[in-house]
Amino acid sequence: MLRFDRVFRDGGGFDSLLVMLALGYLVVFSAFPLIYNVIMSFQAVDLFSLASFDRPYVGLDNYREVLGERVFTPIFWNTVQFVGLSVFFQLTIGFALALFFQQDFPGATWLRGLFLAGWILPGLVVGAVWGWILAGDFGVLNHVLQSLGLTDGKIFWLSDPSVSLYSVIIANIWLGIPFNMILLSVGLAAIPADVYEAAELDGASRLHRFLTITLPLMRAQLGAVISLGVIFTLQQFDVFAALTRGGPSNASNVLQYWAWQLSFEEYRIGQGSVVSVLMVLFVIVVALVYVRSTRNEHAG
Amino acid sequence: MLAKNLWIRWVLLAVALVLVSFYLFPLYWMYVTALKSNTETFQNPPTFWPHDPQWRFAEVWVEYGLASFIKNSVIIAAGTVALVVLLGTGCAYALARVRSVWMDLVLFIVLMMQVLPSSLMITPIFVAYNQVGMMDWPRTGVVLAQAAKVLPLYIVLVRAAFTQIPKELEEAALVDGNSRMGAFLFIAVPLARNGILVTAILIFLQSLGEYVYARSLITDRALQPATVGLQFLTGPNASDWSGIMTYSAIYVTPILIVFVILQRRIVSGLTSGALK
Amino acid sequence: MIYQRLMTTTAFALAAFPALAETVTIDLWTIDRPGEYHYVMAEEFMKANPDIIVNVRSVQFEDMVNDLARAVSTGDAPDVTYIDNPEVALFASRGLLLDMKPMIDASSVIKTDEIYPGPLASVSYEGGIYGIPRGANTIALYYNADMYKAAGLDPENPPKTWDELYAAAKALTKPDEGVYGLAFSAVGTEEGTFQFLPWLQMAGGDFNNVNTPGSVTALNLWKQFIDEGLASPDTLIRGQWDSTGTFNAGSAAMSISGPWELPRMSEEAKFDYRVALLPAPSADAPRASALGEGDNVILANTDQPEAAFKFVEYMYAQMPRVWNEFGYMPAYPVEVADPKHAAAYAVFVESMKYARNRGPHAEWPKISKAIQDAIQSTLTGQAPAEQALADAQAKIDGVLGQ
Repeated sequence: MLRFDRVFRDGGGFDSLLVMLALGYLVVFSAFPLIYNVIMSFQAVDLFSLASFDRPYVGLDNYREVLGERVFTPIFWNTVQFVGLSVFFQLTIGFALALFFQQDFPGATWLRGLFLAGWILPGLVVGAVWGWILAGDFGVLNHVLQSLGLTDGKIFWLSDPSVSLYSVIIANIWLGIPFNMILLSVGLAAIPADVYEAAELDGASRLHRFLTITLPLMRAQLGAVISLGVIFTLQQFDVFAALTRGGPSNASNVLQYWAWQLSFEEYRIGQGSVVSVLMVLFVIVVALVYVRSTRNEHAG
Repeated sequence: MLAKNLWIRWVLLAVALVLVSFYLFPLYWMYVTALKSNTETFQNPPTFWPHDPQWRFAEVWVEYGLASFIKNSVIIAAGTVALVVLLGTGCAYALARVRSVWMDLVLFIVLMMQVLPSSLMITPIFVAYNQVGMMDWPRTGVVLAQAAKVLPLYIVLVRAAFTQIPKELEEAALVDGNSRMGAFLFIAVPLARNGILVTAILIFLQSLGEYVYARSLITDRALQPATVGLQFLTGPNASDWSGIMTYSAIYVTPILIVFVILQRRIVSGLTSGALK
Repeated sequence: MIYQRLMTTTAFALAAFPALAETVTIDLWTIDRPGEYHYVMAEEFMKANPDIIVNVRSVQFEDMVNDLARAVSTGDAPDVTYIDNPEVALFASRGLLLDMKPMIDASSVIKTDEIYPGPLASVSYEGGIYGIPRGANTIALYYNADMYKAAGLDPENPPKTWDELYAAAKALTKPDEGVYGLAFSAVGTEEGTFQFLPWLQMAGGDFNNVNTPGSVTALNLWKQFIDEGLASPDTLIRGQWDSTGTFNAGSAAMSISGPWELPRMSEEAKFDYRVALLPAPSADAPRASALGEGDNVILANTDQPEAAFKFVEYMYAQMPRVWNEFGYMPAYPVEVADPKHAAAYAVFVESMKYARNRGPHAEWPKISKAIQDAIQSTLTGQAPAEQALADAQAKIDGVLGQ
């Protein structure tokens, strides 16, 4: 009895117990829906057969249909652009803001907190407000740009197929900044000031200190924030639903919104599952890259 | 020298105010739209302050029963955070400390478990809940499902926080006769406190905004959270935009204030001295 | 002694009978919020029938079909619910709705031959009647009489044909003042189909025959409106409510939308707004209009069909009230004493005669999507109208062939 107890409090069993608690919970709740979706992608699913597993097996038919859709390639590339640009700008702007607000000036810590607004506002509201800001006719952005003389006519941010995707990306960057900024701020605050002081005494410039001290020490944080950022962006749905509905004519459609359209608007549920499985494959790549990168983290 | 420093600080403050005002413009637009009539929202050129402000805060609070909605939102979010912190902190610690192929695999699986958006997870969860009778405790059901959704996020982030703590401190504690459990609870967790608290804040705020699970699993209006209540202000044809923005303003403002105050204490924290 | 005891026992038994009369419970799902139509109906019905209890649950409009499908699969379905017109066929084709025809034939309250053809078609499926409309709505042309006068047009003579509409829109568009001639919705969702289908129908087509010369003309006219700046490019991503918002704000001279706009318009539009029937392709072309709102249906596996039908009957009888109290058009001709927005109401009533259902077809969403795709790809210039409509027809043939 004592020995059993000791294994869990002290030995290798300790780590396993800690891990199994969380992993077990996740497997029960999240693995099941994941498997359910994967299975559905191989079946002919009808709106009314959702509750049972017993559906006709159609092999790769759903996959063939989805990959053969004319809109598949543009939607795929839209998604790549959406994720790439969103994460890049969210990270750089978030990091820049975290660095800026790390400095010592009155009200720095108060003002930093205000950036949480993007994370608190309900999705419905964010979508509606950005829709009004980006509206072609009565939108604030056009109004400001024209008043400042930066543009001649109105830019139809949401209905012009060549810019609609980028407009949605702008709204999404806005949404993601708080997440990046706050987490990177915590990471920055954990770096002791004397490390910088020592380097400064040695004559290192600010840029040099940033590259050789800050970045390496933030490695763990950065890796986590980037990989989670990619996964979150792949799930981002509200901005599409509120701003463009993937339009016009799929110009701003991305895999996650398309999956929803297939499953919940057209009731082509098997094909909707295929798209989500494809997204899972994408995330597998991201997750593998992240896990490998953790090997290089300083263990302290 | 002193004067120069002081001057720089005020310049920085000015820049900060500009940055904040840029970022918060959509928030300002939300407040202004709450005060405008439904039609003025579509006015061209747009007005930055309503012609005839309508203060509908009291009306919206009473008519839509915001008190009950917000209470439920807080209950669900708090329950989620509690569950996630309980389950996830230990796992994050183990993943940070132990480097092995097994742990890599676990981290990978943890990440994969949050790959699907809630809209695709809800149907199997709904069916499963129905089978086991979970539908009789709707808010608990939402807490459980939402906790599973955000647990991977918590684990990954807190793990990153734990990796920043040098191992030597725990090793010293073990040499001093503490068990690993003790070292974990009394050394590691307090040191990673800031990372844990900030992540907990993010998860709390994220769970306040949870909509899909709450909508599908909670049918009794008295138990529904604010996000579901908000959605009801949109209709198939007509949407009361100024009402929606008013509702949102009532809901967002106190939360924003509370967390601005909270994050200030946590993010800037007191870690700098502890590592010595 | 025994006799007395027998009497007492019988007396007790008889007295207990009313207590044994069961209270029946029916579950109702609705898209309304407390205080709106179904909640009001449920309360009144319960007062009039103390032995029936109605449990009301609110479900969001966009989620109704999915929630209902899920509930049916898990055995949790309500007894009575509200569904949108095109979806009746979807549920009826799976045998999930109760065929009310036998009960209707025996009813003295519901007479199906008095219901307008559009709503009636939406609830009919293969000879049965699977729902009763709770109300209806349709679309018409709103126009700003003040702007008409300013542009030299006659507000008593709104456009009756597509050519007249085009000419009026052209005269009313003032780019320097930011005023568009016309506002409507071509968004890539069911709303877009809702707006376009009447044009297609007036030109001689229908949902199963979209590739007609008339449809090409209609779609090209829509494209012209946008290309020539007579309507905003944002029409492609904006719904009817938001587009009419610009009309109310004075940024558009005309708007195509439905009666749901009237409460907001009457409060906030600061000009003389009027309503006219949707213009037709030519003076002698058949008229058509959209059909909206939805139907009260009874689920097939309900265990209280009589109580449910009684409730549906009750709601049917309240039709004369739906306009003034809830803003729906009546689904059959009724005498409304002192209707609100009388002039607009008269036009919408006239329009109801021509309102046509979307479908009916069990796979309506796929058909609708094909039409939406055609609209969007034509209006963005990705494909000429003929090509887009031919593609749509091919997809629709695929659906119909099943």
